[in-house]
Amino acid sequence: MHQLISSFEGLQGKVKGINYLNDGVVLVDTTPNSLFDVVNFITRELKGIFTVIIGVDAREIDGSFHNIYVFSLDELKKYVLVRVMLEGSDPKVPSITPLIKGADWSEREIRDLLGIKFINHPDPRKLIVPESWHDGVFPLRKEVSYKLRAHGPYEPYQPRRSEDVIALPYGPYHPLLHEPEYFELHVKGETVIDIEYRGFHVHRGIEKLGEARLTINQIPFVAERICGICGYVHSVCYCQVIEGAAGIEVPERALYIRSLILEIERIHSHLLWLGVACHVLGFDTGFMHAWRIREPVMHLAELLTGNRKTYGINLVGGVRRDLKEEHIDKVIKVLNEVKEGYTKFINYLTGVREVIKRLEGSGLLPRTEAISYGVVGPVARASALKRDVRVDHPYAAYKDVYFKVPVYNDCDNMARLMVRVEEVFESIDIIKQLLDKLPKGPILAENVEVAEYREGFSAVEAPRGEDVHYVMTGKYSRVYRWKVRAPSYSNIPALKVMLHECPLSDAPLTIASIDPCFSCTDRLIVVDVNTGKRFKVPMRALAKGWRP
Amino acid sequence: MRKRLQLIKEALSIGVVTRKYPFIPAEVPEGFRGLPQFDASKCIGCTACGNVCTPNAITFVDDTSLGIRRLEYYLGRCIFCGRCADVCPTSAITITKEFELASLNDRDLRLVIDIKLIKCQSCGRYFTTFRHLNTVAGKLQEGVVDLVNICPECRRKLALDSLIKLGGLK
Ligand code: SF4
Ligand code: SF4
Repeated sequence: MHQLISSFEGLQGKVKGINYLNDGVVLVDTTPNSLFDVVNFITRELKGIFTVIIGVDAREIDGSFHNIYVFSLDELKKYVLVRVMLEGSDPKVPSITPLIKGADWSEREIRDLLGIKFINHPDPRKLIVPESWHDGVFPLRKEVSYKLRAHGPYEPYQPRRSEDVIALPYGPYHPLLHEPEYFELHVKGETVIDIEYRGFHVHRGIEKLGEARLTINQIPFVAERICGICGYVHSVCYCQVIEGAAGIEVPERALYIRSLILEIERIHSHLLWLGVACHVLGFDTGFMHAWRIREPVMHLAELLTGNRKTYGINLVGGVRRDLKEEHIDKVIKVLNEVKEGYTKFINYLTGVREVIKRLEGSGLLPRTEAISYGVVGPVARASALKRDVRVDHPYAAYKDVYFKVPVYNDCDNMARLMVRVEEVFESIDIIKQLLDKLPKGPILAENVEVAEYREGFSAVEAPRGEDVHYVMTGKYSRVYRWKVRAPSYSNIPALKVMLHECPLSDAPLTIASIDPCFSCTDRLIVVDVNTGKRFKVPMRALAKGWRP
Repeated sequence: MRKRLQLIKEALSIGVVTRKYPFIPAEVPEGFRGLPQFDASKCIGCTACGNVCTPNAITFVDDTSLGIRRLEYYLGRCIFCGRCADVCPTSAITITKEFELASLNDRDLRLVIDIKLIKCQSCGRYFTTFRHLNTVAGKLQEGVVDLVNICPECRRKLALDSLIKLGGLK
């Protein structure tokens, strides 16, 4: 512990203070002028990987805005939070995007939502709020009501290559798609040379809702609805943050139950992905078998928690529903059956030549780029980055189980498939170990009292990668600031690299390979940079060899 | 090629797994969190359920012209978390396994429970429900019961007055 603190001594005068938020989280205070030096030190000397920037409107507390730059030191098993305080009346800070590509979104998000200026940021466009948003209104500032809605006429998104592009009359908000997100591929002939992405059409302002209207114990239920597939990770992560900030001792049994349900979620999420990946490849037989194998896992979740997907069993301090003795055998039985069917399926899948040929060597993300973008989860592990929150920053009951973290060096779509394939086996094994060791006792801490203005930070390994939450507690059992960063937030920007110079027909698969909450990416726009023509193409047609 | 045939064989032996729902009812396990059911006769109008309800599916309004507290439950907002049943002191809410709740009529999604309010004996304002008071009074020791039908504000004043009378506060 002290080793880490003393390693900052070299920075003399540039660091104003170092504190431990808890065992695994170090908070370093610095000034905007010294930010570059501290960030360079962390990324170069300590091998820190960028995670996210958290912006806090703390004017009510100390008259300033806080920017908290988060880095994960995987090897040292610590998170470093670098905090700079910015003037309340005119907050500005140098942009770190020129140093770290992954910081681009975080900075634009904070600029949109909190109105902090990032000096020398390369991209002046909006990220989160719609183009027609009120000028000078920053939704996460405390004086803005959470009921405020966007106004003004619809203004189309302006892609950066606007000179080559014909305006789009009817864009990404397709009424039949599950989730609107907007990809634009810029192609030369049949090769992709760049991509544009505009998302956040369905940004629900959940953070604002949590800060403005909900109490501490209501947020887990909303957090769980952030993701439609792996929502439980958010609820666990949020609870961990509050428990850490308030120093609540969570009973062992509750920790085990959380880990167990998290692994069930990982299994069904990976199986879902595997099915969808087959579907994108035009291999619908594989899709159906993957989902057939997945279904009993959903039933298992329903039996244990009361619902297939929104488990709703977390409260700050533990869980609401105990694991019944008589269900344990059932869990083991179902998992054994799943494993059997799954083994057969994988054996078959990896024997289909067409599938393998499509996956191998496509969608390359070299290790150095993976670090620069700070990618997480299976995407990182397929690019030779051994990082897994369960091992690097253990939480729940993961310190008590043994499992392998699959890492591949090939950096391609095949590697990303193989990481997930192996993880399902590991998860089944983890659940069995947990059931073996399941301690007896209470499942919910008795005294849940949360003091005001305490900070907490925690991370959970979601099926898609590292999910992080930050909370500053507020008065009257509420949160003052709640920040969520889901894993796809780190992975989607890296598509720029994966899709560069890739054949058009591999694009849907590569987009799918990061498992970006999948429904988002059904349809895309293809722009021929030579002619400026735009085509709307369903993913499936593209996968089957569509040509402009 | 051989592998491909294997899968066909496998698929044949597994057969059809898709269920014929809704022609054949779907089973949900014991402990499934479905529709919360309210027993109006047990509800005392304590508002605990409304306080924990995350999406505001349960709301309360006090109608002083009619002298009632109205609990409104709107199924359209309910997320079936079951927290209301957890906190209800009289077990007026039970979580059922019912999940086929769609309706063409919005009114089917609403439930209203009216509970009579009671006035403060001292200042004459409505302050809680009759049933709530009864439940609380049943749990109190004698002597304190006298103070029960007085609203918290007046009670504070009274307590203060008696303290001053006793010379406890100068
Ligand atoms: S089940 Fe949950 S959402 Fe529904 S009424 Fe009860 S507390 Fe509210
Ligand atoms: S918690 Fe129970 S008794 Fe209290 S208002 Fe709700 S339903 Fe009625």
